[in-house]
Amino acid sequence: MTIAEKTPRLVKSIFSNAEYGRRNARRRRVTFLFLAAPALVWFLSFMLWPLLNMFYISTTSWNSLNMPKKFIFLDNFIRIFHDPKVAIGLHNTGIYLLAGILGVIPFAFMLGFFLSLRKPGYRILRTIFFSPAMLSIAALAMIFLGLYRPDGMLNSFLISVGLPGLTRVWLGNQSTALGALIAIDIWGGIGFNSVLFFAALANLPEELYEAAMLDGAGYWTIMWKIAFPLMVDFIGLITILQFLGILSGAAYQILLTGGGPGTATFTLGFYLYDQAFLSHRLGYSQALGVMIFLIGIVVIILIRRISSRASN
Amino acid sequence: MLKWFVRVTKRMQRGFDLFVIGGYFVSIIYATLIILPVYFVLVSAFKNNSQIILTPLALPPALDFSKFIQAQNSVHLLRAGLISAGITCGAELLTLLLAFPAAYAVARIQTRLSTLVETIFSLGFLIPGLAILMPIYMMTAKAGLLYHPIALVILYPAFNLPLAMILLSGFMRKLPRELEESAVMDGGNVLQIIVYIFFPLCSPGILTVLVLNFIGIWNEYLFALILMDSDNRTIQLALALLRANQRSVDFGLIAAGVVISMIPVYIVFVFFQDRIMSGMLAGAIKE
Repeated sequence: MTIAEKTPRLVKSIFSNAEYGRRNARRRRVTFLFLAAPALVWFLSFMLWPLLNMFYISTTSWNSLNMPKKFIFLDNFIRIFHDPKVAIGLHNTGIYLLAGILGVIPFAFMLGFFLSLRKPGYRILRTIFFSPAMLSIAALAMIFLGLYRPDGMLNSFLISVGLPGLTRVWLGNQSTALGALIAIDIWGGIGFNSVLFFAALANLPEELYEAAMLDGAGYWTIMWKIAFPLMVDFIGLITILQFLGILSGAAYQILLTGGGPGTATFTLGFYLYDQAFLSHRLGYSQALGVMIFLIGIVVIILIRRISSRASN
Repeated sequence: MLKWFVRVTKRMQRGFDLFVIGGYFVSIIYATLIILPVYFVLVSAFKNNSQIILTPLALPPALDFSKFIQAQNSVHLLRAGLISAGITCGAELLTLLLAFPAAYAVARIQTRLSTLVETIFSLGFLIPGLAILMPIYMMTAKAGLLYHPIALVILYPAFNLPLAMILLSGFMRKLPRELEESAVMDGGNVLQIIVYIFFPLCSPGILTVLVLNFIGIWNEYLFALILMDSDNRTIQLALALLRANQRSVDFGLIAAGVVISMIPVYIVFVFFQDRIMSGMLAGAIKE
């Protein structure tokens, strides 16, 4: 093997020792590092280092890549507190999170439970439910553009069922644009997460349900009295994933609305993108990044706390 | 299909359960809601604008591929597809090259370092892509790789490493200890053990990693948007451009682009759906 041949003799001697994996702890550690170092270096350079950079840049005033950075310490963060756009972003992100989590997780759990009963046809349903997860964000945005545009599928459906009064310019209307974007997340999110719930529920021993069935409990009771308490931790986990995805999402705004109309779809994530790549306020954009990152961490800890307390 | 139907009706006669009926009812409505938009896009790709607006759900009157040709001419979809394919291959190879030995180390070599390394990698799930977008843009610019596909080949493995490590090390932990012991008896070194014993044995795990990475990389939009230019568009950028290029929306054109861009992923989905589901579940649980 060429890799082995190219390995320097010193390092090579470490491995060719028959004692490997037995006694020598130090030798094991060297072997470990030799194998893990490339991946570790890669990960640290392209994930953690940029993250540290984000913290550093957030303490500077920097308005173009070609200009020097000016160290201003916490001024960007003080500005965040007085920035009305941050308030708007927080408000919209809050709505997005609330609807995106409450609109997905209860339904995903119930559908997942139904799938886990393995009634006839559950396999095909599972495949269908999961399929939106295969669509890219760009494809999703384009598909829903076809639904939402003024003469799109949604409006022509409303007209054909005799409800022309309900037609809207869904993405161009201040009162519907945010809901229209959230609906894209809910549409695919229910299905994807229901399959995750299915898989998690499928790991529970069958006897659990059988005992309750003998006691005359119906599926509805079993779902809430047996499956739900056992799934609390997992629900917490799915909530965290859903939360992080929405909190740092901006792709639909980039692709469809540009944060508008007005500020209707202007979220924190989009503000970060806007400051970094459209308005070129690099320092400030990274301060927003730090805020988003910290919100994420705090909420993760919070959800973990709640779910571990609830499951005890 | 008929057999299935008979089985369903038999089961239904056996136990009339309101929950199950409600479950089917909701499931079928939701399944319809999923299928309709996708179906709509599929048929729209073969229609002109007025057909799309007037009869959105009707089958196309003819298999007219002109929108596909038009989409190809306006944003060079096939070229973008080739660039995406190239980036995917490079990034897959690199991910595997990095993750496989590291996963072996974490799973099979007992030192206290392995928990530390696992913790470091699990941090990856906490880092929002949007937050490191700007710093990565700067790094890429400094390295002189801006607008070069190599930049994505280098970056994507870093994003994919946490999941790849979880799946591969999870797989390796299940293999019996004796594997290494007998190899060491025969005088094999670690690299030989990895290449000749673990690599072939782990091929199911490797396949899962490759499939999940493929979907992630092929579908990635944000970093490609920032780091590539018009000469090096990935398939997702080309797709988004189909809309930006036109004043009034020609949805048939966009639909054709959507269909082309999703074909490879859906083919993979058809063949490997169980792998994809279990892989994504393992990723979610281990986070």
